[in-house]
Amino acid sequence: MASILVVDDEPDVAEAIQSVLEHSGFNVVAANSAQQGLAAIEQQTFDVVVTDIIMPKVNGLELIRRLRTGHPRIRVIAISGGGSFGPLSLKPEAISTHAFIAAARDAGAEEVLTKPFDMDDLLAAVRRHLPN
Amino acid sequence: MERLINSLRFRMMSVVLIVLAALLPLLYLSVSAIVEEGYAEQFVNHVRSFSRLTADELEAVSDSDFEQRAAALLDGVMLTGQVVYSEISGGPRKLQSSIPSAAHPGQRHDDFAFGDQGDQVYYISHSVKRGHRAVLLRLGFDESPTLERIAAAKSRVLTAVLTFTLASIFVSIWLSAVIARPMVRLQEAAKRVASGDVHASLQMRSGIREVQELNHHLESMRQGLVGANERLAEEIREREVSERKRLDLERQLLHRERIAAIGTLAGGVAHEFNNILTPILLYSQLALNDTPADSPRARDLQRIVSAAHRARNLITRILTFSRQIDSQGPTDFSMQATVEEALTLLRAIVPANVEIILNAQLEEIMLSGDPSLVHQVVINLCTNAYQAMSRTGGRLHLRLWMAVERTFESGWAALLEVTDTGHGIESAAIPHVFEPFYTTRDVGEGTGLGLSVVHGIVTSMGGKITVESEVGRGTTFRVYWPLAASSSQRVAAAAGRG
Repeated sequence: MASILVVDDEPDVAEAIQSVLEHSGFNVVAANSAQQGLAAIEQQTFDVVVTDIIMPKVNGLELIRRLRTGHPRIRVIAISGGGSFGPLSLKPEAISTHAFIAAARDAGAEEVLTKPFDMDDLLAAVRRHLPN
Repeated sequence: MERLINSLRFRMMSVVLIVLAALLPLLYLSVSAIVEEGYAEQFVNHVRSFSRLTADELEAVSDSDFEQRAAALLDGVMLTGQVVYSEISGGPRKLQSSIPSAAHPGQRHDDFAFGDQGDQVYYISHSVKRGHRAVLLRLGFDESPTLERIAAAKSRVLTAVLTFTLASIFVSIWLSAVIARPMVRLQEAAKRVASGDVHASLQMRSGIREVQELNHHLESMRQGLVGANERLAEEIREREVSERKRLDLERQLLHRERIAAIGTLAGGVAHEFNNILTPILLYSQLALNDTPADSPRARDLQRIVSAAHRARNLITRILTFSRQIDSQGPTDFSMQATVEEALTLLRAIVPANVEIILNAQLEEIMLSGDPSLVHQVVINLCTNAYQAMSRTGGRLHLRLWMAVERTFESGWAALLEVTDTGHGIESAAIPHVFEPFYTTRDVGEGTGLGLSVVHGIVTSMGGKITVESEVGRGTTFRVYWPLAASSSQRVAAAAGRG
């Protein structure tokens, strides 16, 4: 059974994703910060990490970069809080959705989903990146 | 009257007349006195030598027939016509001429003053020695011819003085006119200048050097004033223009800043909402999966999912408004195709009482960027337009062509005009139509985002949008987009050939 780590600083979001994935039969661990997520990875192996990008202290991009260097076999799906489609600019210095996607891909994410996504899209993305 | 008294001509004439009035009687009196004295002296000299000669003759008369001869001498004297009275006294008896003296009153004292005593006779006496005794010869000379000559001379003097006076008056009138004429003309010109006709020349012809110089200085002063005036007017115009420009820029900046601020706020709110919507959507879909499809619970859950989707769409619109273009790289796309595609969608929702017309230029107009943004602009503008006519019905007219637009780099723009025949926009509301959340519709009828989204998209694509509206007649939006390089080169080449 594939195991999945969900990292999001919003507990509601992390739990919702965990519930959906567990309901589909995955082993899921939820973490509410990048540090928590990294600690979980030290304890067990994961096939896929689903991580938010904007988080306090260590952000999602940094997490992805560490995974890429330390755990190259783990596949990463980044999720962002932008609009469902189109670019986003919160503040002049903030990152738009397209910049998000580009930055997440640059950091090493296999796929990027924008919130709020449908359950089916999430499951399809996870399944795409599982071995076999 | 006061004007006359204060006038230059009057004053100059007055001065001349006063001078003449003081001088001329003096002149007349002095000349008359000189003339009178001259004549009198001549008369007296003549009288004296005449009487002396007569006395000498009398002295030479012999004693024998003295009386007879003396009387004959007196007769001879009387016959000259100059002497009107003659007598010899001091002898044995008083001798007189046998010729009666015309105007002689008789015994008189010697009278050496010419012209005195009103009898016009000048008496003179000579003592003549006759041996051991003397007789007195007394002659009276007629003054009247001399007096007449004096009177005639005086009258000639008076005539000359009067003639001179008249001539002086005429000369003074002429002179004052000559001097005053350029001054009067100058005054009239100055009056015109003062009344606003600053271009009336002060240059006058005059033979008087001082007037010429005064004229010259005044004229150069006027030209200086006119120049200064024009410079001032020019400066004021420039200031007005720059002030207008400044106000315009200020307004634009304020508008942009407000929209940007609201956009930032909207973006932040949207981000939070997306996080909140994620568990709502996922849990409701999860629950829906576990619920038999035909159960009432499934229908309720489906409603939650739909509501979450609607919320997601609304946030998308808010984000579209707040976003800046940083798409994956612009692509060239056809305006006509994009507008037609949007109209296909619109025809499905526009009520039947609204007629949709599209006039598009045949030659393809290419834009560079994200076609979905243009799509959204068309949808939003047309949605507003048909909603403005939904009760009354009307015509939604779209026109699309390439237009000259000097503010764009290429000088050309794709111009999309969207005109409705709806209720129009109040003029007070027009400046606010592009502000986010500004709506004139009733609560629940509109978000107030449609036009601000349009504005955000158009300006982020480097275009501009204008609105023109009349209450009761309808509204026209004009959107100017920069052309893609391929289109602007083609149109420039075509314009160059044309």
